[in-house]
Amino acid sequence: MNLKISALDYVQEVQNGNISAEDFTAATLERIHSVDEKLHAFLSVNDDAINQAREIDKKIKSGDKVGACFGMPISIKDNMCIKNSKTTCASKMLENFVAPYDATVISKLKEQDAIFIGKANMDEFAMGLTTEFSAYGPSKNPWNVDCTPGGSSGGSAVSVSAFECVASLGSDTGGSVRNPASFCSAVGYKPTYGLISRYGLISYANSIEQIGPVTRTVKDTAFLLNMITGLDPNDNTTVDNKNEDYLSGIDSGVEGKKIGIIKEMMAEGTDPAVISATKDAVSKLEGLGAICEEVSLDMVKYSVAAYYTITATEAGSNLARYDNLRYGYDFSLEGYEFNSYIQKARKNFGPEVTRRMIIGGFVPSAGHAGKYFLKALKVKNKLTKEINEAFKKYDLLIAPTVPILPFKLGEKIDDPVALFLVDINTVTANLTGKPAISVPFAVSNGLPIGIQLLADSMNDKMLLQAAHALEQTVKLPEVPI
Amino acid sequence: MVTEEEIEKVAKLMKIEVEDHKEYVDKVHAMIDYFDILDSAGVDDEEISMPEIPITALREDKHIPFDEKLIEKLNHYKGTYVRAPKMS
Amino acid sequence: MTKIGLEIHCQLTNLESKLFCSCKANYRQFEINENICPVCMGLPGSLPRLNQDAVKKATMIAMALNCSTPDKIAFFRKNYFYPDLPKNFQITQLNIYGDTSVGGPGSIMVGDKEIRITRIQLEEDPGRLIYEGSSSKNQITLVDYNRAGTPLVEIVTEPDFENPKQVREFLNILSDLLENLGVSDPSLEGAMRADANVSIEGGKKVEIKNIGSFHDLEKAVHFEITRQESLHSREIEIAQETRHWDDKRKITISSRSKEEALDYRYFLEGDIPWVTIDPAIQEKLKSEMPESISSKKERYVSKYSIPNQVADVLSSDKFYSDLFEDSHTESNAKEIANIITTDLMGLVDTREKREASKITAIHLRDLADAIQTGKISRNSAKNALHEIVKTGKDLSQVMSDLDLGNVSDESELLTVIKDVISEEPQAVEQAKSNPQTINYLVGKVMQKTKGKADPKLTLDLLKKQIE
Ligand SMILES: [Zn+2]
Repeated sequence: MNLKISALDYVQEVQNGNISAEDFTAATLERIHSVDEKLHAFLSVNDDAINQAREIDKKIKSGDKVGACFGMPISIKDNMCIKNSKTTCASKMLENFVAPYDATVISKLKEQDAIFIGKANMDEFAMGLTTEFSAYGPSKNPWNVDCTPGGSSGGSAVSVSAFECVASLGSDTGGSVRNPASFCSAVGYKPTYGLISRYGLISYANSIEQIGPVTRTVKDTAFLLNMITGLDPNDNTTVDNKNEDYLSGIDSGVEGKKIGIIKEMMAEGTDPAVISATKDAVSKLEGLGAICEEVSLDMVKYSVAAYYTITATEAGSNLARYDNLRYGYDFSLEGYEFNSYIQKARKNFGPEVTRRMIIGGFVPSAGHAGKYFLKALKVKNKLTKEINEAFKKYDLLIAPTVPILPFKLGEKIDDPVALFLVDINTVTANLTGKPAISVPFAVSNGLPIGIQLLADSMNDKMLLQAAHALEQTVKLPEVPI
Repeated sequence: MVTEEEIEKVAKLMKIEVEDHKEYVDKVHAMIDYFDILDSAGVDDEEISMPEIPITALREDKHIPFDEKLIEKLNHYKGTYVRAPKMS
Repeated sequence: MTKIGLEIHCQLTNLESKLFCSCKANYRQFEINENICPVCMGLPGSLPRLNQDAVKKATMIAMALNCSTPDKIAFFRKNYFYPDLPKNFQITQLNIYGDTSVGGPGSIMVGDKEIRITRIQLEEDPGRLIYEGSSSKNQITLVDYNRAGTPLVEIVTEPDFENPKQVREFLNILSDLLENLGVSDPSLEGAMRADANVSIEGGKKVEIKNIGSFHDLEKAVHFEITRQESLHSREIEIAQETRHWDDKRKITISSRSKEEALDYRYFLEGDIPWVTIDPAIQEKLKSEMPESISSKKERYVSKYSIPNQVADVLSSDKFYSDLFEDSHTESNAKEIANIITTDLMGLVDTREKREASKITAIHLRDLADAIQTGKISRNSAKNALHEIVKTGKDLSQVMSDLDLGNVSDESELLTVIKDVISEEPQAVEQAKSNPQTINYLVGKVMQKTKGKADPKLTLDLLKKQIE
């Protein structure tokens, strides 16, 4: 059984009768059992997957209507609710939380006969970019198991690139899909804000985050977007994409497109291998008829500080509900007074979440909001104006996804500010609501490099067309696992 | 500069009990100090913007009960009451 | 000078669903924790879904109180930990980035006094806490979340009231206004709650929290002024503090002062975009608003010549004015107003009696017609009304059941008249010389017919017989 096929190929193969959903699912589970001890992409695996695959095969055989996924095994980041299954956010705080409802993306994929093969590892409550802050231990990069796979959707990227599933859903608050996709040589997508419903996605920083696919190819991302985007009455922030078909015309190319190269995202400290890969990508795009030139977004310098200020504030509020009174983990309240119980209960947060709770209480507080939180919102506004200006001139913007190569596990975990700067190229898309994609483009010393493209709001389709064009210009080595 | 007392006060506000003091205080300090860069962004005159939704796009006022007995899926106590600790 | 300001919390009890989810707004009919869902329980991943009608109703309240209504409203999070708040923050409104709550500054006349409204905001109600256990040692807290997330409108006034009487008058006007708008039933338990702030000349401001009804609000304000004046007269300083209303003992009690000042870290609720209410929609809302009480009253007086006092009573009570509106025509308006205010109000003077009452607009119209065409005497009409309220039967049915119809059959009436003439020869002679005294004979006829004789017909026939 070839587990390395793309989502579109999988659908083709099942439709042609070459493979069955059951056989593919069984082989996928076997793969997980053989490699995941080493990689730790999963926090839990769906015991019922084989039965679900068998049911879908039955539907196929009897000629019943079958959803577009045909039993495709998909992994889901463990911050999205699947009814009656554990959703932990990789936190001890939600050790025993069983979601009583489906996230909108989950209902939509269920209708299309996808199989949720397991819940993917992540940084606790999505705060981090290495998966080292998972309360259940880090994931490993399949390209080099001593290295981080990136994060926070590290488990999603690992599971896709190590063939433990065909595709995955992650969430991207400041690069959390694109960063691990870049580090693991997968395609990672952050859609226009509001394109995908967040209902059932456990909030970290709700005003800027989006669910996004991690896939092997750009086409697979377009395929998934066709199923999970659109207005959702359960999420007032969703936007109407009028049932856009992201797959049609995906090979339209980039001829005549104007592309701006973001100067501030290739600044000092960027790895030379990353710079040269980006320059290579630019010349490949030029070779396809695009017109590329440098553009400056001055506010990018302040974007990381604004990003962490805003996310800490929102997280401080979003995570306040974890007081262990209505759900959470086993911890008796006998003998405690309200405040002392909650303080004790919240000790189940890991160190990074704890730190961000403190920052999230500090930066928007009465005495400090003006210096921190309000200023951050204003930077966000000015950055948005700048990028809107840029999109008047350019169809697309380009930059490396991450300024550095995948680094060793443990290398930066003790230096929070060093970790901040790894996000410098990705947070802009979140702060401004623009769609962005990371495309696998190079491998340097056995470590992947991804290239990031950005487009204006609701130009997701054009962005995917350009990403597909760029993807076609390289043939990358296979993951060595 | 953020003082240690301020950090402790905020921790209490957020119902966070900090034991390993130095570890937390130092890192939180470093993170907050980094935010000082915002002072040089020159954004005082900027507005704050938000997405908008027309009132007509909001949910209609209809009663649709949740399809399951939610309380049975939660931690609860004394019949269907949720129990909380005493309020001091 | 005494200064009193109010913060009034009014539940929008007439809505179908909660503010951010589709659970029932009127939670009173449910078993404990039966009216909940992932949204109002703040479960991980759930998002608020704003109720369109809640925004409309709150906007109407703002309009009725002459407040400005912005074309964009925003929601904020008020962050604090409490077991009745499932998310440990409350979604509410605030005016920190311009006027973005449903109602901006406005004012309303209370008698001759102008009371300024600071703002009107739409927010979610928390759940309900129940304390059990006899001592503080074994005390436990139980929570019922059925109320959590129900729509609440907060009306904040400037400290413009000078005495409890003005407060009472304002509350009366407000209750009538809310009921007239059809947004709330102020008589439901817990539907109206309030906080107040009170200061007397030379004293500091004291907040009183937790007042569970309008009735108690007036009492609390009165108590607090008396308390402060008593301190002042003994030259004891009035401390700036928060006090709670004890509704059993009917006094205010100082809240423990160790309660540290909370920092609510207000910031914009990102899950709800700013809601635009463009001028056209505002105009439409205004046009859909029920007629105001004062305009109704004016119309009753000028169009139907209903006496001032009757019009006042009729217009300020939605139950009666709705009945009046649905039943009256130009010709019977005065009669109907009369039936309602002199007879019906006495029959259904409590909430229970109103709810049990079976009377409809059709009954009232029939009754007024019957009186005006002489089919029933006023006296019998009163009896018929009593029966209608009880049974809801048609007027004609009631009249025949209770034998209340006027005797308007000429031959039947003539027999009675002839009897009277033969029994009262003296009076007949008197009437011949002095027509005024004929009324005595009419009364006799009435007596014999138990008041059912058509008075006009009786008079005509009597006159003919005597001549
Ligand atoms: Zn609900």
